[in-house]
Amino acid sequence: MSAPLTLEKNNLKLGFVALLDCAPLVVAREKGFFKKHGLNVVLCKESSWASIRDKVSFSLYDGAHMLAPMPLASTLGLNGNKTPMLTALALSQNGTAITLSLEFYTLLSKSIADWKDTSSVGAEFKKQVKNSKVKPVIATVYPYSNHHYLLRYWLEQQGINAETDVQLIAAPPTHMIPSLSNGAIDGYCVGEPWNSLALIQQIGGLLTTGHEIWGAHMEKVLGVTQEWANAHPNSHKALVNALYEACQWAEDSANKEELFQLLALPPYLDQAATQLANYTPPLAMEQHFAGKHVNVPDPKQGEFLLGQMLDCGQLSDTDNPADFATISRTVYRQDLFQKWVS
Amino acid sequence: MNRLNVLLIDDEPERVQALKEALHSLGHHVVCQLPNTTHLNKRVEDTHPDIVIIDMDSPNRDTLESMSTMSKNNPRPIVFFAEQQNDRKTMSDAINAGVSAYISDGLQPDRVKAIMDTAIAHFDAHSSLRAELEKAKTQLADRKVIERAKGMLMKHQGCDEKQAFETLRKLAMDRGQKLPDVAQSVIDVLELTNGLSK
Repeated sequence: MSAPLTLEKNNLKLGFVALLDCAPLVVAREKGFFKKHGLNVVLCKESSWASIRDKVSFSLYDGAHMLAPMPLASTLGLNGNKTPMLTALALSQNGTAITLSLEFYTLLSKSIADWKDTSSVGAEFKKQVKNSKVKPVIATVYPYSNHHYLLRYWLEQQGINAETDVQLIAAPPTHMIPSLSNGAIDGYCVGEPWNSLALIQQIGGLLTTGHEIWGAHMEKVLGVTQEWANAHPNSHKALVNALYEACQWAEDSANKEELFQLLALPPYLDQAATQLANYTPPLAMEQHFAGKHVNVPDPKQGEFLLGQMLDCGQLSDTDNPADFATISRTVYRQDLFQKWVS
Repeated sequence: MNRLNVLLIDDEPERVQALKEALHSLGHHVVCQLPNTTHLNKRVEDTHPDIVIIDMDSPNRDTLESMSTMSKNNPRPIVFFAEQQNDRKTMSDAINAGVSAYISDGLQPDRVKAIMDTAIAHFDAHSSLRAELEKAKTQLADRKVIERAKGMLMKHQGCDEKQAFETLRKLAMDRGQKLPDVAQSVIDVLELTNGLSK
């Protein structure tokens, strides 16, 4: 056994958003994985991705639970202050879905025999959109996110114009369910638990999942600034290892019941978590915290995300796609993951 | 003429009032908006703000940031303050005070500086007042419950008193409950799970 590393910093603050995939952070703290690796971690709940980005950028937090595209967007300066960021660990895979209002879903159901037949679901959805007297309103949360890219990608695949056939709006996750039930919106594309909660409360129907649309993809990552990573290589390594072990724990089905008990603690997911423990959605979300390739921050996936940014007009035409590979490698640090996690 | 349209999104009535008066006296036009609205998009379109000042804790920040990229039809893209302003010190002060701001594209950043400074000063002043205000408003029995919940959260989360109070406040906002009720449920949950973990 090698001598334990001296950590540059033991007391860390990490930001998170109260979604199902903040589980690895909660587990690492509650099950003592941070402690095991010599870290004292305070978890700070944030109400917006914008605040996660700002507090990491301005060093109020050492790192955070981030949307997979966020370190990339921040490195490019696409949203706010340009701050180079990186990730050495993917925290989760998949877990996003599109949910429709009960009214829209019920109407669509009449012409759909099998919801797993994705091409007929897409074609019938398109018909219903084109026949709508008013443009259906579909909500997402944040522009630099898988849920936003997935929605646009899927609409385009069906031949639905995101600008003219539907109205895309943004709303906070906590507003999604009330807006769906009062008719303000016809659907949304968000991460768990917000799809399952609408299904459990029977105010929405599941259209399709992120996994159906893209196949397996990186969803949340541990994001830090490059500056922080350079100054704290040993603490960073300890953090990655602690969270990696927590990811394994969270994925183990034997721990499922306890996982939901932990998530229901204040200030994590609060009472919402208890509703989810025994629920299985009609289409599998395939949300995973560990497994083959799940935790690797793959630069190829980063390049794919850059392509999505380009497609929805977030990158200017002058950005050179040839640089995609280089940019992606500086952000998605597969090399650090492979060096540290074994 | 330096008169700007300011949209203020905040759910702390005392702070809204004080900041509104201060910005009026600087000669600006201020429109206030409680954050628990479902029609923020429309509100921004209607008021055509030159600058939006919003509580850092508001989930509507993501909505504002989406507006400039979601649809090409949004007439006046609102950009994050820092995009045009390289003043890291002001940004950092703003984040520490819990203020975030978005300015409309094309507006000269120097015109915004005085507004930012005023907002930061008011948010700073309010945050030191907030706990005091809360104390003054709550009955002794409720105060005891809140103190106990804070203590348990500090122990369980390893956080300081300020963060424990913020946690309670955010839970109250999320659930739409009163602080003493949230405090009692936090006590119940944490007592029940004593020994569950660690």
